[in-house]
Amino acid sequence: MSNERMPVPGRPRAAAHRLPLLLALLAQALGCTSSSTVPAGPALDPDTVRFLEQSTFGPTEVLVTHVQQVGFSGFIDEQLAVPPSSLGDYAVVLQGPAQVCPTGSPANCYRDNFTGFLPAVQFFHNAVSGEDQLRQRVAFALGQILVVSAEDVPTTYGIADYQTLLLDGALGNFRQLLESVTLSPAMGRYLNMVNNDKPNPDAGTNPNENYARELLQLFSIGLVQLRADGTVVTTDGGAPVPTYDQGVVEGFAHVFTGWTYPTLPGATLKTHNPVYYRGPMEVVASNHDGAAKALLGGVTLPAGQTPQKDLSDALDLVFQHPNLGPFIGRQLIQFLVTSNPSPAYVARVSAVFADDGTGVRGNLAAVVRTILLDPEARGAAKTDPAYGKLREPALLIAGLARALGVQTDGVYLRNACAAVGQDVFQAPSVFNFYPPNAPLPGTSLLSPPSVLFDSTTALSRSNVVYTLLFSKVAPDATIAGATGTVAPLTDLASSAGDAGALADRLDALLMHRTMSAAMRSAVLSAVNAVPASDPVGRVRAAAYVIATSAQYQVER
Amino acid sequence: MRISRRSFLEGLGAMGLAASVGRLAESPAWGQTAPDYRALVCVFLFGGNDGNNMVVPVDAAGYAAYAAARGTSTGGLALAQSAVLPLAPASGAAAYGFHPRLTELQALWDAGVLAIVFNVGTLLAPTDKQTYLQNSVPLPLSLLSHQDQQHQWQSALSDQYSRTGWGGRIGDGLPGSSLPPVISISGDQLFTLGNSTSPLALPPAGGGFGLAGFDGSAEASARLQAMDDVRMLQEENLIVQATQSQTSRALAASRLIAPVLAGTGSTVDALFAGLTSSLAKQLLQVARIIAARQTLGAGRQIFFVSQNGYDTHNDQLNRQGNLFGDLSPALKAFHDATVQLGVAEAVTTFTLSDFARTLQPASGGGSDHAWGNHHLVIGGAVRGRQTYGTFPVLQLGGPDDFSGQGRWVPTLAVDQYAATLATWFGVSAADLTTVLPYLGRYPTTNLGFLG
Repeated sequence: MSNERMPVPGRPRAAAHRLPLLLALLAQALGCTSSSTVPAGPALDPDTVRFLEQSTFGPTEVLVTHVQQVGFSGFIDEQLAVPPSSLGDYAVVLQGPAQVCPTGSPANCYRDNFTGFLPAVQFFHNAVSGEDQLRQRVAFALGQILVVSAEDVPTTYGIADYQTLLLDGALGNFRQLLESVTLSPAMGRYLNMVNNDKPNPDAGTNPNENYARELLQLFSIGLVQLRADGTVVTTDGGAPVPTYDQGVVEGFAHVFTGWTYPTLPGATLKTHNPVYYRGPMEVVASNHDGAAKALLGGVTLPAGQTPQKDLSDALDLVFQHPNLGPFIGRQLIQFLVTSNPSPAYVARVSAVFADDGTGVRGNLAAVVRTILLDPEARGAAKTDPAYGKLREPALLIAGLARALGVQTDGVYLRNACAAVGQDVFQAPSVFNFYPPNAPLPGTSLLSPPSVLFDSTTALSRSNVVYTLLFSKVAPDATIAGATGTVAPLTDLASSAGDAGALADRLDALLMHRTMSAAMRSAVLSAVNAVPASDPVGRVRAAAYVIATSAQYQVER
Repeated sequence: MRISRRSFLEGLGAMGLAASVGRLAESPAWGQTAPDYRALVCVFLFGGNDGNNMVVPVDAAGYAAYAAARGTSTGGLALAQSAVLPLAPASGAAAYGFHPRLTELQALWDAGVLAIVFNVGTLLAPTDKQTYLQNSVPLPLSLLSHQDQQHQWQSALSDQYSRTGWGGRIGDGLPGSSLPPVISISGDQLFTLGNSTSPLALPPAGGGFGLAGFDGSAEASARLQAMDDVRMLQEENLIVQATQSQTSRALAASRLIAPVLAGTGSTVDALFAGLTSSLAKQLLQVARIIAARQTLGAGRQIFFVSQNGYDTHNDQLNRQGNLFGDLSPALKAFHDATVQLGVAEAVTTFTLSDFARTLQPASGGGSDHAWGNHHLVIGGAVRGRQTYGTFPVLQLGGPDDFSGQGRWVPTLAVDQYAATLATWFGVSAADLTTVLPYLGRYPTTNLGFLG
C-alpha cells in the first residue's frame, strides 16, 4: 500500500497536550493572572487540527478529539466508508423557464428550477453537518477543476446530478470519473459536446471544439509538458514545450461527435434528443464522424470505429499521458494543503497517481491519502514563509461555522460565499473562480485564492464574519424547511470568564496554537472591553478579531 | 501635458511588501502633479468577442464573401445584410456596418467619437500567414487558450507568464496620490498590476465598500483597535503579509472614497437610468469616481471594467446579441457622462478581449477560438468615424486565415494598440519601451486613432 511508505502519524504526543497546562502553571507561579486557568475545552493536538483543515470543511473540538483517537490513516479509512451526502431531490424539469415559470409565478420559481441555488444551499448544510467530510472536500476540489457552472447550464436537477456524480467519484478512479464527466449531459451542455454534429459540408459547419479543448487544457493534461514533479519542460531557449497543437484539439473534437441528451423515458433516441439531464449522454452512430482522427502523441484512431470505441480510446490516451498525475495531483495539493507545494511533494503524489502500490493508476483515494499524510502536509507548525494558502471563501465560511458551532440551514452561508466572490456551483467560467497559477503580487509565489481577496472582498469577508458571529439570520421564507443561521456560542461562552482561557481555546481550535503573544494580547484587549457579564459578547469579540486576521485567514 | 520621463529601473528594486495606498512600495514617481486630467477605461470582453459579427462589410462583394463563409442556413452565423447598421464615414459610402444591437455605438460613430481598429492581436513580431506556417517568427504562447490570451492582451508580453499588465506598468510611472491610480471594478486583473502598482478593486455601483459592525461603542472600538493591531504585526509568512497589506489598503481607501461610492448627489446617475447590466453598474461607478476627481485629487486614472459571456460556442446569434444589447447602451451612457462632466476629451474608453472567433460556424450555432480581432475606441479625443488597420479577407483558407476555419493572423499587435493609448495618456516615447518592451519590433508605434 502506498501509505506504508509514508510516515504513519502517531498518537498525538502527550507532551503536546500537557504543554498548555504546564504553561498555565508556570504563568501562575510567575504571578501572571491573565491565563490562570486551564482552557475549558479539550486539549487539541495542533497537527490534528491542521489535518482536519486539509481533509474536511474544518475541525470541531469533537472531531479533533476523535481523530486523536483513531489516527490520521484510521480517519481516512473511516471516511472512505461513509456514503455520500445528498444534495437534495429535485424534480426533473423538461420545459423551459417560459413554460415552467410564466408571468405571475412565485419569484423563486426560476431560482428553484433553473439555477444551482438550492443544491448550493444544501452543499453548505452538508459541509457544516455532513459525515462524509473527506468525500465532500475532495469533490469540492474536483468540482473546481472539472467545472460545470449553473451560469450556462440552467437546470437545478442537472446541476445537482453533476455534483452528485463528483461526490460519487471523488474517491474512486480518475479514469472512470473522466468518463462520467465526459458523458454528463450537464457537461455536454456546458462545453457543447451534446448535439455536436459531425462535419456538415452543406451547412459549412465543423465539430465544436469546446469540450475537446478544455478537456485537454483544464481537466487532464494542461497546455505544457510537465515532469513528474510538476515543473515545466522547456526548450533550450527556455520556452515551455506545448503538450499538443490545434490539430489534436480538432482530432478530439471529431471524437466527441454524435452524442446527445439521454433519451426521455418512453421516447425514442433521435439525433438531437430534447434537453434532459438525467443519466449519461447517448450516441447516434450516424452523427459520429467516421474518419480517422489524429490525437495525442502521434496516435491516430483508425477510421470506422464506433463512437464508444473512439471515446474510450481517446480517454485512455488522456488518462495514460504522463502529465495527468502532476497536473491533477498538484492542483489537489493546492486545494487541500498549500498553494506552493515543493516539486518533491508533487513528485511523491504523482508517483502514487501513476501506481497506488497495487499497479492501479488514477486511484484518487490513494492520491488523497498521500497528499494528506505527506511530510510536507504534516507537522505541528510550518515556518516556511511560502507555506500555506489563503482560505477560499467556502472554506473560510464553512470552517468558521463548524468550529464555532453555528446552526445553519446553509442559506446564509451560500449567499455570503457568493457575495465574497465564490458563488458555489456557479463559477464565472470553466476556468473556475481563479486559475491554479495565479501569482501573489509583490512576491514570486502563487496564491490562487488571493484572486478572490481584492480590496472589496478584503472588507466584505470581515463583514461575513461579523454577521456570522453577531447576527441571527432569519429563515428565508421562500425556502421550504428553512431554519436560518445563528451562532449560539454557548459552549465557548463557558470559557469566557477568563479572557486568556478563551483566547487559548480559540487559538487551539482555529490556529493550532500558532497565535503569537502580541496577537493574543490584542485579542485579550478586545475581550476585556466586554463585561464578564456578557460571556457570549466576549466570545464574539475574540472570534471576530481572530477570524478576520490574516494570521487566521491564511491556513498554514 | 506630457508626463515627464522617469527611470523605471529605480522602481524595480523596490518590490517590497510595505503597506501603502496603491503602491506596494514607495518608488520615485513622476516629478510633477498633473494640472489636468486624463483617464483610460479598459473594457474587457471576457470569453473572446466574435469581431466578425461586430463589424460586417456592407458593400456587395464584401457582404457576399462574409455570408458565404458564415453560413446562412440553420446553424449559420451570417447577419442579414438589411439588419446591419451602416457606418458611414465623413464622406463616401459605408464600407462596414455594426451588429444590429449596437445602435448606441452607431450613434457614437456618427458623432465622430468612436473608431474601429481592425485585426489586432497578440504577437511577438510582425507575422503573416506565411511566416506563421513556416514557424519563422516567434509566436505567442498558447494561442487559442482563453486564460493565456486574456493575460497576454493584458500584459503585452506574449512569450511569458507575466506578473504585470500594461495598465499597471503605466501606473508605476504615475505620481502618488491619496487613491491608487489604477482602479478596477472587476477585481485584481493582470492589466491593473504593475511592478509597484496594485489596484484598488471597487464594487459596481450599489455594492458596499466598508467594514460593518462598528458603532463607536467602547466594545466596538476596542475590537477595531485589536483588529488594527493584529493587522500591523510583523509576520514572516508572505501570504499573510500580502493579506494584511491588501486589507490595510482597502481600509484606507474605504475611508476616502465611501462618500463618492454612496452616489449621493451624483449628477451622472440619471444617464444610466434603466440600465441594469453589470457593465452599466461598473461604468456608473467609474463615472462617479471621475466626477469626484478633484475631491479625490486624481490627475491620471486607469480603470478596468468587464463583461462576461463572449465565449459563444453555441447559440451565438442570441447570446452575442444580448451581450451587445447591454454593452452598447452602457458605453453610450458612460460617454454621455463624460460629456456632462466636461471631460469627454480627457477620457478614452477601449475594448480588449481574449481573441476573435472562427469565421466558419461550429456545430451548435456558435464559433471557436481564433486570433486577430476588431476593437473599439471611444472618447472625445478619438479621431472617430474612421477605421484603422487592415480588414482581413473574409475567406476560409484565404490570405489571412492560418487554419482554414477563419482565424486571422493579426496585422496589428496589442503593443501598437496599447502604445497609441499610452502615448495619448502621457507616457513619453522613452518610457513607452518600459511599459511595452517589445514595441520596437513594429514599424508603427502610434496607430493615429487619438489626437
